[in-house]
Amino acid sequence: MPIVELQHVRKVYDTKVAVDDLSFSIEPGTMFGLLGPNGSGKTSSIRMMIGITLPDSGAVSLFGRPFHRSVLGRVGYLPEERGLYKKMNVLDQLIFLGSLHGLSGSEARQRAKDWCERLNIAEALKKKTEDLSKGMQQKIQFISTLLHEPDLIIMDEPFSGLDPVNAALLMDVLVEMRGRGKAILFSTHRMDQVEKMCDAIALIHNSHLILSGSMREIKARYPRNRVEIQFDGDDAFLRHPAVASVKRYPGRAEIVLRASDTLNDDSQSLLATAIRCAQITRFEITQPTLEEIFIEKVNESTPRGNITEIRPAAGNPEQPESAVAHA
Amino acid sequence: MHNVWLIARREYLERVRTRGFVITTIMIPVVMLGFLVGSIVLGAHENMDRRIVVVSQDLPLAEAVQSALQSAPRAATATPQANAGRFNLRAAARPIKFTVDVMEPAVGTRDLLDQQLDSNEIDGYLWIQPAPAPGAQPAFSYTPRSSSDRATSDAVTAALNKVLLRRQLARSGATAGQADALMQPAEIQPVRGSHHRDRASSMVSIGALFFLMYLVIMLYGMNVARSVIEEKTSRIFEVMLAAVRPEEMMAGKIIGVGAVGITQMGIWLAAIFLAAGSSSGINIGGETIHPSLTGPQVAYFLVFFLLGYLFYSAIAAALGAMTNSEQELQQMNIFLMLPLLACFVALGTVMMTPDSRLAQVLAFIPPFTPLLMYMRVSLGHPHAWETILSITMLAVCTAGLIWLTSRIYRVGVLMYGKRPSFSELMRWLKYS
Repeated sequence: MPIVELQHVRKVYDTKVAVDDLSFSIEPGTMFGLLGPNGSGKTSSIRMMIGITLPDSGAVSLFGRPFHRSVLGRVGYLPEERGLYKKMNVLDQLIFLGSLHGLSGSEARQRAKDWCERLNIAEALKKKTEDLSKGMQQKIQFISTLLHEPDLIIMDEPFSGLDPVNAALLMDVLVEMRGRGKAILFSTHRMDQVEKMCDAIALIHNSHLILSGSMREIKARYPRNRVEIQFDGDDAFLRHPAVASVKRYPGRAEIVLRASDTLNDDSQSLLATAIRCAQITRFEITQPTLEEIFIEKVNESTPRGNITEIRPAAGNPEQPESAVAHA
Repeated sequence: MHNVWLIARREYLERVRTRGFVITTIMIPVVMLGFLVGSIVLGAHENMDRRIVVVSQDLPLAEAVQSALQSAPRAATATPQANAGRFNLRAAARPIKFTVDVMEPAVGTRDLLDQQLDSNEIDGYLWIQPAPAPGAQPAFSYTPRSSSDRATSDAVTAALNKVLLRRQLARSGATAGQADALMQPAEIQPVRGSHHRDRASSMVSIGALFFLMYLVIMLYGMNVARSVIEEKTSRIFEVMLAAVRPEEMMAGKIIGVGAVGITQMGIWLAAIFLAAGSSSGINIGGETIHPSLTGPQVAYFLVFFLLGYLFYSAIAAALGAMTNSEQELQQMNIFLMLPLLACFVALGTVMMTPDSRLAQVLAFIPPFTPLLMYMRVSLGHPHAWETILSITMLAVCTAGLIWLTSRIYRVGVLMYGKRPSFSELMRWLKYS
């Protein structure tokens, strides 16, 4: 039984179509990535899942039944725009938000304390929210989402603005939640995170679903035609006939092989050529990265083919030195 | 309902615990009391000594005026002992102590007196022109140093009248004793009636309650709007909306903020009654007033206060939902203030003539009903149907307004960026 199921959901704001014919489902114990450029309809979709707004047509089911507000106690939502009562004491705030999700005051208090200890911010409990650092506020918000042990956890950009140590800490928590059978939906632009963590994804662009399914399935649709190579010496091997295009970095190159039925042989032949030219320290044959699939899909669905809103993965800051394309 | 209660409780506790609440709760009565005590103290230390000159060829007349002014201080009512334990609001009730010089007119007298006026040596002079014919009245002219010193010129006029009357009586053959007896002023003993007839007392109490209602509705209506904006700017509402309905949020907010207002008002009222109870009453303009109200007056106050607060806070919540910042709210806030100010302007008329046609009509207009109809039922004698109709109309309007506001609120809290135009607002009302 899927935790969330959207069927042909459509939402129009005034004159703008926010979401059109959107269908996907999220199974328990999975981490689901909702992807898409800014303004593509991610937040609108999430809002309809939890009844903040209602779809104009189509159906939303939560926990196997048509949406009803009574199940909201089983949902935890961390919106992209973080919000806490600034003047309120942190503990009171957590108790209040927990109570709204059906916890008793004493239970909420105990859980708030446990969570704060686990995330190393026990000293924040007595402070006012506005006195905390941004990162700490984010952790408090994260805790408030999980305090009532929701079965469906929805997080919009959960790690933005966090340092790597704290991001890893929260990521571990989410992985543990998945292990306990919770369904986790998170939306992000960070493709590297999605690739690492998500079991399934849905990619929305211009209000339409353009790609969805399990990560393995999606990746399997693409040929293993990417080669990443680290080397020292002459790069003449890059002119090998099987190479379709190259991105050249210092001491490194990302190669896309020409589509053919003999990809395996082509790559081996490329490796053989490379060894003759240079000292090879790494040679890896992969599928396209999620980011590449994302960009490709978005470009396919955009008539003019130029997408500018997409942020590059933050883990990949270097710019290509040169881009060589062979006819 | 549980959610409404949680939200209202949070709103209440967070507000009551702030330093701001404690300060306003204490400061407003302290400042008011300060004004009161200040005016009494200033009044007590005001120099009430007056030096005037009476110029007349008719010396016996001048001397009679002199003795009338200098004799027994014109005490307004009572000796200091009788005033103990009361708040005396009228400093002018303290008697004026006169020093009067008498002189005969000579060449240059007027110039001399004018000089003395300018140099503050005297406070005024009375010039008596002899009667042109026997039996006719002499002509009097009084030149004060400051024309605003009404108390002194009133005292001089009163003394003159007394002297002339006594003269007239003497001429018609009355003895001094008879004249005194005739001129004995009538004394009215104030008898304290049963409370509901004590019009002056209830006037003051009701006026105070009117002001309190006005103040609380205005202050806490604004607080509702501000708190909506605070939630919009801190983005907390999106977290909230994942658990509660917008209507529950709005209801909780209005109830919570209103409860703070009621708490504050309760504290002030309790303080007033305690202060009044510890003394024998409040003395305003020489009348002793007991802040007392009848049961129905209190009941009407509560009904009108609650409906009025709901009405105005619903408007405020809508304004808050439509705007994105305090500054934007400031521009819109005229919609909240204007009807309240209009009530204040109409207050005088309604208070003096609570059953006039104008008061009747005004009190039926829903935004004015809470304050003005409350005034009418407390001070006038509206027909039962008028009271019932106005309350019903107000209740229906309030319910409608809350419904409308909750729709604006539902869409408005989720939209931020720019203020909606009127046509957009109409569309908000349609979807949501």
